[in-house]
Amino acid sequence: MPNPSTSGRYTAVAQAFHWVIALLVVTQFVLANWADGLPLGVHKLALLARHKSFGMTVLMLAILRLLWRLKHPPPELPPGMTHLERILARATHVVFYVLLFAMPMTGWLMSSAKNYSVSWFGWFTWPNLIGKNEAAFDLLRSTHHILGDALFVIATLHIVAALKHHFWTKDDVLLRMLPFVRIERAKSENRS
Amino acid sequence: MTRHRDASMALLAAAAVWAANAWAGAATGYSADPHQSRLEFVGVQAGAEFKGVFHKFNADIAFAPDALANSHFDVQIDLNSVDTMDKDRDTTIRGADIFDVAHFSTAHYVTRSITKTATGYTAVGALTLRGVTKDVPIDFQFTAAGSGARLEGSAKLKRLDFGAGQGDWKSTEWVADAVKISFVLALRPNN
Repeated sequence: MPNPSTSGRYTAVAQAFHWVIALLVVTQFVLANWADGLPLGVHKLALLARHKSFGMTVLMLAILRLLWRLKHPPPELPPGMTHLERILARATHVVFYVLLFAMPMTGWLMSSAKNYSVSWFGWFTWPNLIGKNEAAFDLLRSTHHILGDALFVIATLHIVAALKHHFWTKDDVLLRMLPFVRIERAKSENRS
Repeated sequence: MTRHRDASMALLAAAAVWAANAWAGAATGYSADPHQSRLEFVGVQAGAEFKGVFHKFNADIAFAPDALANSHFDVQIDLNSVDTMDKDRDTTIRGADIFDVAHFSTAHYVTRSITKTATGYTAVGALTLRGVTKDVPIDFQFTAAGSGARLEGSAKLKRLDFGAGQGDWKSTEWVADAVKISFVLALRPNN
């Protein structure tokens, strides 16, 4: 079997990181928007507790994913892409990584500032990063929301670009992140 | 004649109480210095502990290590003074589903007996919260300090024993039933 990182595909581990984090991020948006519309109460508390546990999971996975990426560089972008497309693709991925850290970190900070310590599924409690501070909480909450909007925009761009590569350019950019598509992958190799 | 007998019985009873007290020894009366005393609790919300304090409470303490039979605590806690370092949480705790301060603004603790233990003392007393009275034992230590004393102790209770959690808050999935209480009282002698 060829070395995955030079065969044009992401490694199975990189794919797993990508899809698990993607699923968690979608879940985070659903939980956050659901909780946002609720009055203070047990239901809101429960949703936000899950949101925080998932968020800290994303943070841990993002760290591991970045470490994995350092040892296993992603495959090269397809040769047909223009200079601008390459810059855009790189920039999107950099911003993605920044947000995968910034979202949980601002969330953790705002919980700390609110004096609502973050538990990880009730198994252990993360230490508060800063002391109680209502002004800091307001600022961090706005930041968390703005970054969330940015993440939504970047994710949309990312998905549109992946679909554009697959259905318009017909290259293997999407396929190389998809597990179980070796045959499809072979086809695209034959074409090039 | 009957009235005289009642009066003499009352006198006798008073004399008996006095004699018992004299035999047991007198306890010193203290009150807690509000600026140097703390009454705290720790709850668990969504898996994480949170701390709260009551800023206002009155503690009438009568205590002497050699007069435990005459020692007792009488503590009134202003539930409105609850402070968990978050106004949303404080408002929720004061609300109808938890403390219901609109109807029950104070909690009251009165001891029935105090006994010596290996490490300090145990008080058995009744806590009245939200109109419900239940026994809550307190473990404490008493340290004489100058003319006053330092009283440090802790207790555990279940909030639902007192109905502190109605409606959705009855669930213990997101807010634990168990609450830890701790206090440090700087006692000043009453006279």
